[in-house]
Amino acid sequence: MIYSGIFEPLRVVTGLALLLSSLLAFAAAPFDKNPFPSTYAPPDSPDTAIIGATILTGDGAQLAPGYVVIRGGRITAMGEGSLPAAEKDISRVIDGNGRWLTPGIIDVHSHLGNYAAPDYAATSDGNEATAPVTAQVWTEHSVWPQDPQFPLALAGGVTTLQILPGSANLIGGRSVVLKNVSSRTVQGMKFPDAPYGLKMACGENPKRVYGEKGGPATRMGNVAGYRAAWIKAAAYKEKWEKYDSEMIAFNAAKTKKSRKQDEAEAKAPTAPERDLEMDTLRGVLDGEILVHNHCYRADEMAQMIDVSKEFGYQITSFQHAVESYKIADLLAENGICSAMWADWTRFKLESFDGIDENIALVDRAKACAIVHSDSPWGIQRLNQEAAKAMAAGKRMGMAISGAHAMQWLTLNAARSLGIDDQTGSVSVNKMADLVLWSGDPFSVYSRPEKVMIDGVLLLDEATGLKPVTDFELGLRVKTL
Amino acid sequence: MMKRLQSRRVIIMTALTSLLCSLSALAADTLIENARLVTGTSQGILTGASVLVRDGRIVSLAAQGRPTETATDAEVIDAAGAYVTAGFFDSSNVIGLLEMGGGISNRDYVLRETEMGAGFQVSLGLNRFSSLIPMMRVQGVTRALVRPDAGSGNIAGQSAIVGLGGKPGMLMVDNNAVFVDLTENASKFSGGSRAKAITDLLDALDEAALYSKHTAAYQAGNLRELRQSERDLKALLPIIRGVKPLAVSMDRAADIETVLRQLDPYKLQIVLIGGREAWQVAAMLAERQVPVVINPMDNLPSSFDQLGARLDNAALLVKAGVMVAFMTEDVFTETRSLTQGAGVAVAHGLAWQDGLNAVTINPAIIWGIDKQYGALAPGRVADLLVWDGDPLEVTSRPAKIMIDGEWVSIQTRQTLLRDRYSDLNRTGLPFGYQ
Repeated sequence: MIYSGIFEPLRVVTGLALLLSSLLAFAAAPFDKNPFPSTYAPPDSPDTAIIGATILTGDGAQLAPGYVVIRGGRITAMGEGSLPAAEKDISRVIDGNGRWLTPGIIDVHSHLGNYAAPDYAATSDGNEATAPVTAQVWTEHSVWPQDPQFPLALAGGVTTLQILPGSANLIGGRSVVLKNVSSRTVQGMKFPDAPYGLKMACGENPKRVYGEKGGPATRMGNVAGYRAAWIKAAAYKEKWEKYDSEMIAFNAAKTKKSRKQDEAEAKAPTAPERDLEMDTLRGVLDGEILVHNHCYRADEMAQMIDVSKEFGYQITSFQHAVESYKIADLLAENGICSAMWADWTRFKLESFDGIDENIALVDRAKACAIVHSDSPWGIQRLNQEAAKAMAAGKRMGMAISGAHAMQWLTLNAARSLGIDDQTGSVSVNKMADLVLWSGDPFSVYSRPEKVMIDGVLLLDEATGLKPVTDFELGLRVKTL
Repeated sequence: MMKRLQSRRVIIMTALTSLLCSLSALAADTLIENARLVTGTSQGILTGASVLVRDGRIVSLAAQGRPTETATDAEVIDAAGAYVTAGFFDSSNVIGLLEMGGGISNRDYVLRETEMGAGFQVSLGLNRFSSLIPMMRVQGVTRALVRPDAGSGNIAGQSAIVGLGGKPGMLMVDNNAVFVDLTENASKFSGGSRAKAITDLLDALDEAALYSKHTAAYQAGNLRELRQSERDLKALLPIIRGVKPLAVSMDRAADIETVLRQLDPYKLQIVLIGGREAWQVAAMLAERQVPVVINPMDNLPSSFDQLGARLDNAALLVKAGVMVAFMTEDVFTETRSLTQGAGVAVAHGLAWQDGLNAVTINPAIIWGIDKQYGALAPGRVADLLVWDGDPLEVTSRPAKIMIDGEWVSIQTRQTLLRDRYSDLNRTGLPFGYQ
């Protein structure tokens, strides 16, 4: 509830864009904005009740114990105490006594599939490091659905993840949001209707990669690069909007003067030439694509906020955001999420000032805090990373409950991906993406015993149910 | 003769150092009472117990109440039931040998394009004033093995054991082992084949044996030319004599089998490092009493050498009777937390005490310092951690840290940054004055 105000500007922009695009729908749809649609369809699952577990709802509450009812893959009822009499006819009851139930964990920063295991040049598909601006690439085209790291993340309770292009480029390309499900195709993993994200990167990486390849070679070169791209994108957007309004006028004229149809068609406006790179940047300016900006240092984040204001787009999240604690007030004011590690520091100079209290301090400033992994190891233990961050905050005197900290892994993450109306909390009407833990999820000893996506049980320690990728067949005797 | 002189000098130095140390530690006794003492010995866990420290050493433990010899002016710490453990030991790290990742600082633990082999001595590059030391210490690590990495040959060089107390110095045991890399990654130093890498190692050991037998002839120039330098050869002498361990990095189960068999005739003290597929050959390791140092959080099939990597590696090895110790490998990886790693291993089948042993007494045994470290018992060096929770829990940290009998600060560069920015609403001079 704390963050309810933060996302409103984004919603309004998105809403307006949707309204506009529906108005234009009758104009000749010049191209398909969703050429790789999700084909994800969960198999049927029995209606299920989970009873007796301590529930961390993901939106800040704890129910001890509570119940959840799942019908048709969605949560249809939940609450404190025991299962209501009206629900007792349900076909499957899972006894969660002594267990903890949480929403499925969401990792907003992952490279599973685009930096797959085994780790060889052949599986290195995350950075199109051929030019500093590659907004034209869509990282879903790099994702290998047989990456054996996906099942390991599932064993850590991760049900949804955003795969991002790497950070070599100023503008790296589109992200994709996936359900962590076994599938022959990436389309079969794509989170239905999740908005696309755009990866941008500050600081050391782009200038290192391009310093001797024609630039940018400096941070000032980086900023000039973003601005040049947005200037181009604004012009492209204007060109298309001019075309759209001409089309509207043309169509209106055509309707009025249907007798002179031939003449009208002769004057039909010509669509501008399509540019894949600009399509994506225009999507950002139209509020359809969310910006996830890799940025470590506080001063650089402040500059990126000004760049976004100059060109009229919203930064949805800063990724890594190692120094967010220094400007937590500014981030709260601008409604920007920080996706952070619990304790990473000193692995490069721009991470030098990383502190264990970063997440807790951002949260205390009422800015949106998210625990992310950016790591095939870390994604298996995001609950432990949140636990470390919570403990660091407590040690400096903050009162942080587990129920509150669970938001860093679930609802806040869902909000930054624009899917919080679908998942990210144990709430009625949401997808039944759930994890039943053997104990308190903030303990190192607790493990997910059951993981459910859209009500389908995909991992069950009791029966040994778990996915095995094609890659692992005949290679890995046991995967855990 | 030369050698004897050297060792005498070392003894004098050590005596001086310990004199200085005891002078500075002339303070009264320190008593930690009402503790949940994890002794690491046959005494197991003692609740409501106390431990008495004097002159940098543990004097005695009392299962109940205070030891009778407690001085009346002793500093008394009430642990209020908290866990008290021995200091933790990270069995492979590079603390003090680099300051920053990302190519910013020197990596003084790895050689590039040099001929040097076993003679490479990482201790000479140590920075005992590194600001990383307090950061590692606040996580409960009081001792570590710092290792060389193979960068220009399979024989990486000599490791050292360090203390993180800052006093009287960082280096504890110099050149305690020779590290060899026989992973897939290092076969590039042997013409691209791991088969050649193994014969290169055997050749190096044979050369050292030859040198040992005919030192005078070698020095007079009457021995055939050897591939290694005299410094390298000398470093291998304690290895072939079985006095110091040869630490061999390998992950693939088949490689572990082959190398152990090839090394059988040499009668070495072998420590397996990495061993991501070690569980597959656990019986063989147990039979040869080869301990394994593992990274307990690495279960990724990152290469075809590591397809069998799994989180219950430690549990399976211990079950088979293999001694296991844990390492974080370096200070910047995703597996940087030793306690978290031990906790993860426990969550995957390892007994809690075995998890604790893998970061206390086992590394002390493996690296040959168990008479002094790794457990809470009279006569041992007082490296003590007073925890604010279960030591293997991710939410726990040591509330107090004693190294060599002295309390050390739990402040780090990170806590200074935290404090500077703890109140963003403050008024007055800018943050740079905070």
